[in-house]
Amino acid sequence: MTEALIRMQNVDKFFGSFQALTNINLEVKKGERIVICGPSGSGKSTLIRCINRLEEHNNGRIFIGENELTDKVKNIDAVRREVGMVFQSFNLFPHMTIVKNLMIAQQLVRKIPKAEARETAMKYLTRVKIPEQAEKYPVQLSGGQQQRVAIARALCMKPEIILFDEPTSALDPEMIGEVLDVMTDLAKEGMTMICVTHEMGFARSVADRVIFMDEGEIVEEAKPQEFFDNPKNERTKKFLSQILTH
Amino acid sequence: MEAVTGWWDDYFWGSMIVVQVFFFSLILMVLFGLIGAAMKLSNSKIAQKIAGGYTVVFRGTPEILVILLLYFGSAITLTAIAQIFNPEIKFLDVPPIWAGTIAIALIVGAYATETFRGAFQGVKPGSIEAARALGMSNLQTFIYIRIPEMWRLALPPFGNHMLSLIKDTALISIIGLNETLFVASQAISTTGKPFTMYLVVGAIYLGFSTIITLSVMGAEKFGERTTVGAR
Amino acid sequence: MNFDLTLIWDSVPRMLAGIGITFQLMALSAFLGMILAVILLLMRLSGKWYWSWPAQVFIYVFRGTPILVQIFIIYYGLPQLDFVRESILWPILREPFGCAIVALSLNTGAYVSEILRGGVLGVDRGFLEAASALGLKAHQKFIYITTPIAARLALPAYSNDFISLMKATSLASTITLMDMTGWRRLLRPTRYLFH
Repeated sequence: MTEALIRMQNVDKFFGSFQALTNINLEVKKGERIVICGPSGSGKSTLIRCINRLEEHNNGRIFIGENELTDKVKNIDAVRREVGMVFQSFNLFPHMTIVKNLMIAQQLVRKIPKAEARETAMKYLTRVKIPEQAEKYPVQLSGGQQQRVAIARALCMKPEIILFDEPTSALDPEMIGEVLDVMTDLAKEGMTMICVTHEMGFARSVADRVIFMDEGEIVEEAKPQEFFDNPKNERTKKFLSQILTH
Repeated sequence: MEAVTGWWDDYFWGSMIVVQVFFFSLILMVLFGLIGAAMKLSNSKIAQKIAGGYTVVFRGTPEILVILLLYFGSAITLTAIAQIFNPEIKFLDVPPIWAGTIAIALIVGAYATETFRGAFQGVKPGSIEAARALGMSNLQTFIYIRIPEMWRLALPPFGNHMLSLIKDTALISIIGLNETLFVASQAISTTGKPFTMYLVVGAIYLGFSTIITLSVMGAEKFGERTTVGAR
Repeated sequence: MNFDLTLIWDSVPRMLAGIGITFQLMALSAFLGMILAVILLLMRLSGKWYWSWPAQVFIYVFRGTPILVQIFIIYYGLPQLDFVRESILWPILREPFGCAIVALSLNTGAYVSEILRGGVLGVDRGFLEAASALGLKAHQKFIYITTPIAARLALPAYSNDFISLMKATSLASTITLMDMTGWRRLLRPTRYLFH
């Protein structure tokens, strides 16, 4: 097998007659940190949602490790066990305490005994620096805290890859930093990450590769230094000038 | 009020019948509501149509008409069948308590159908997606995520459905159920004090409504512990 | 007891006449009920306990008891009281039609008042703050901002209540025109379950 953890080959995705993704080819190696950026509606979120099959692709093939994403439920379950996801709107389960949010999938999906699940949960809550909030409910936490819990929840499943879908877009400015810190720590530890984000500072310091998407296509793909200092494509230049001028 | 003195125990037993009808119709109402909601949410066009017809008919028809139709309809059918075997039989009916219980459960069940359907669809898609992304199966997502979030959404309208049920029990007196309103009319025929006697009935129902309202409020508070808080 | 289709056919004219009465009852009590609802709403929003408290009790009682019991109290019960028979309202309360109007208006007024209140509470604070910032006075805000927005918010719930009113109307007209005792003699008088 190749060492690529994710392989997307000629992937198309349609919503009705609207083509959201066109001929996507992407390989992500173990330990790589990828940042995807692009204007809204460019298909960034759709791309990463295809990776754990929250969206079904229409053409092409997607492999996660040795599993191909098909209609087979077994494969999808196997992929979801390996791929964690962090959402823009946190999506913590509102009826469960923080620690329960972290335990439920461990117990149900990984069949881990309760005590051990709690231990793991507390370990990761400590890592995202909010162990003291364990018994509270999601609404009692700030947005930044909720997103850190959501990251901890994904980590509890010990995934190979974590997908971040605009993790800081719903946050107040003063809370963006604390979430990015947690993500940077993760990157340093060698976690394979794909982040859809507009945080260019994060992209510059953390990413191995930056991918720019527009109208459902991958337009440009480069190392961050090259991407920011010397963009090749006109659309990339325009986007960067818009996003960096203020 | 001294006119009521001799009638307290009749009122008490009348109230017990109200309670009995309430509990049985509550169980049936939940059942009808869940079946109706499941049919509306199913992929089958026929099931959707049937459930749609059920809610339109039972929400749009006066309650009293449903009760009378169900009671006399079943009585006519039963009598006709019985007369085939024994022409001597003049009248055979489903006991009013059962005809009435089923009738009001059918009526309020039509409202509950919409409540359950709305609650099912009202669960935030984000929670469901997060559960899927964590690898939880459809069944696990349903049991651990959907149901607990659903009941919180359904609770306030469900409290109103319970109030409708308790108030609709009064209508069953019209087909001869000896609940409180029926007791009152008997008391009036001997005492000639309709205002006093019906006022007692009103007070009894107000008591039942209060108990239901308070318990629903308590349950809502319990459910709300996760939605309000220091922010 | 036989199921007789000709009986249905023969009663069509009388049923049509009945529909006319139902509509009259409904229109009148919807109108009077709305006036009552607005008065109750203003009482509750007044912020003075001696206004809001009676309104709350009224709403609680009329929403907490069956409409059938309310009709019975007004139609059969009130004539027991001497002061009612001597009051100027007696000509109305003596007639089944008048009683039905009174009962239905009071009942629907209580329900609609709660619906309107829900609408008023649902109005986004931001609009009112914007209006204050523009210098509108309290009553101006209520008339030009709160009322139109609240009406739009309350409309779906009001349409549901209108259906309830229609059903209650048919109940009222059935009951007040039916001889209850004669009706019940058809049926076995008692069915004791517990004793």
